[in-house]
Amino acid sequence: MRRNSWVPAPFHTYFGWALFLQQLINGLTIGGIYAMIAVGYTMIYGVIQLINFAHGEIYMLGAFFAVTFITLLGLPFYVAFFLSMACCAVCGVFLDILAYRPLRKSPRLAALITAIGMSIFLQNLAMIIWGSRAKPFPHDALPEYFEKTAVTFGGVHLSWFHLFIFGITIIMMIGLNLIIKKTKWGKAMRAVAQNQTMAALAGINVNRVISYTFALAGALGGAAGIMVGAYYNSLYPTMGYVAGVKAFAAAVLGGIGSVPGAMLGGVVLGVAEALGAGYLSSLYRDGISYAVMIIVIILIPAGLFGKVLKETKKSM
Amino acid sequence: MKNRKSFLFLGLILAVALVFGVTTGATAGTIRIGVASPFTGDLASYGDNVKAGVNLKLKEINDAGGINGQKVEIVWGDDLCAPKEAGTVGSKFAADKTIVAVIGHLCSSATLAAMPIYVRAGLPTLSPTSTNPTIGDVGKGWFFRNCYTDDFQGKYLASNVVPKLLGKKKVAIFYENNDYAIGLKNSFVAGAKEGGITVTGAEAYVAKTTDFTPQLTKLLVNKPETIFLCGYHPEGALIAGQSRKLGFKGPLFGADGIDNIDYIKIGGKAANNTYCTVPFLAASAGPAGKKFAARFKKAFGRDVDWMSANAYDCMGILAQVIAKTGPDRKKIRDGLAAINSPAKGYKGITGLTYFDKKGNCSKPAFVKMVKNGKFVPAVKAK
Repeated sequence: MRRNSWVPAPFHTYFGWALFLQQLINGLTIGGIYAMIAVGYTMIYGVIQLINFAHGEIYMLGAFFAVTFITLLGLPFYVAFFLSMACCAVCGVFLDILAYRPLRKSPRLAALITAIGMSIFLQNLAMIIWGSRAKPFPHDALPEYFEKTAVTFGGVHLSWFHLFIFGITIIMMIGLNLIIKKTKWGKAMRAVAQNQTMAALAGINVNRVISYTFALAGALGGAAGIMVGAYYNSLYPTMGYVAGVKAFAAAVLGGIGSVPGAMLGGVVLGVAEALGAGYLSSLYRDGISYAVMIIVIILIPAGLFGKVLKETKKSM
Repeated sequence: MKNRKSFLFLGLILAVALVFGVTTGATAGTIRIGVASPFTGDLASYGDNVKAGVNLKLKEINDAGGINGQKVEIVWGDDLCAPKEAGTVGSKFAADKTIVAVIGHLCSSATLAAMPIYVRAGLPTLSPTSTNPTIGDVGKGWFFRNCYTDDFQGKYLASNVVPKLLGKKKVAIFYENNDYAIGLKNSFVAGAKEGGITVTGAEAYVAKTTDFTPQLTKLLVNKPETIFLCGYHPEGALIAGQSRKLGFKGPLFGADGIDNIDYIKIGGKAANNTYCTVPFLAASAGPAGKKFAARFKKAFGRDVDWMSANAYDCMGILAQVIAKTGPDRKKIRDGLAAINSPAKGYKGITGLTYFDKKGNCSKPAFVKMVKNGKFVPAVKAK
């Protein structure tokens, strides 16, 4: 009899499900945050074909606004969270009005360089206002249940904070999708993305739609900043740089200009990073996530959800 | 008439000195010493500590009339703890012939980058804090330090702190990918065999990372009893917090890089039950050290840390040497190298300092721990 000849492979703890699940949770947490920033990049690219390099700084400002509201005004966490999101939305709009609107008709490169300039400006402004040292997130302000373990099985820890991040990410992603698909504003955004001139002819106030897009992107980026600041308990003026680059990579991975693509790209990048650091080499963690991006771009040049543009034959 | 002439002459000299003073920042008749540390950036609080220690001694020296009647002036160089910036600061110091000696750099990787420049320029360098063992070879006789090296520190952690103080045997190492932390990790691993310690895993991280959960998850699989925070405090504090979030409850420990009040500020409750070795501990110091600690607290409103104490002594050593040799780069080097035996050693607040051929000194290590949100002298873990 060969009854017992097939025994399920003894999953050593090293390659066990518990470790895999924990790494997956780690990856989804950071991936959801990348997704929220990436969506901002992709929406702005969608409407004005600009890679807004200052978007990472809006994310940084989100974290700093929230901490300032909590420590200076003594506001509770949730109030500070939404107030800070609103402030980031306003910052996004100002960024557009001050830096990008005057350059609307100039070559794209001018706006791109302005974006890099705004990124440096905002970083240094934050250093002047809040100092260059890393700051802790006020621990006492966080709801107490955040630290508690929600689920634990076989060594897998899932805290309420994880669930809070997942929840906020999912709600915001669904909300964003509804705004884009179901509302008049969303329709206007899609129209502007397709053809600005035609949209204007159809009676859409293009500048207002662009401002609205910046506000949405800013609010989402700000929310991501607050959650990162609170989860990892550290904020500093240059934190937007790495997050911005990663999220940009996520947006490209998903196909820049595509909102669902950016969402998926962020999650894929986060999970690749966590699994790469967990199973391959932790030293090359960032390298692994970028390698994933490069491989996808080589195989699917338009990104996961990108539109494949047909090559138009030039008439000789 | 004669009086008036000399008065005019004096005025002229003053005017010239003022003009030159504005252009080069130098005033005639002062001894200038360069101090290189990170004064901005993530490790700015380390630089603040060194600045505080140097300033305290500087005031003492200048209030007493300077060195042989010449006032001492400090030129601050911000290296951000980055090798690239350290090279820039080093070149600036080396080119400025009025600078006769350097205190710094703070970070080992910064010192390693700047040292060849100082060797070429013949500028003696005395570091209060760089603990990487290999700097002595790069320094070629121009480098001195009044702190111990990581060779000693890592072995001390492995043979003493972990088995005796913590009473633990299984250690996971989480190290930063830089000269300081890799040197420290290697000496810990070398000492681990002697101390009967098992290293259950070693993972690396890159500075400025905020998410350490993947590596921590991997490290925790082998069920270590304690985690070695082999790096600096900004990341150490985050690792402490995230390890607690992943359910790790054991003690944490690190070396001198962890000793900073920001570790507790950022780490919060998670920072409790962390041990670290330091070259200076006010509670274990002699009467001079205790007096210094009290003065420090009065002047800066915070508890003294080891970096300030070592920087204070660096300034003292240089002042003593310059008083003998005069402000000349080569002569100061010879003067420092002559402090080569306990009998000729400098008695400072951090104990007796004397240098071997590579500029290293042997000094004891002390152990601190975080308890209820405060650094206190370490007690044995239950």
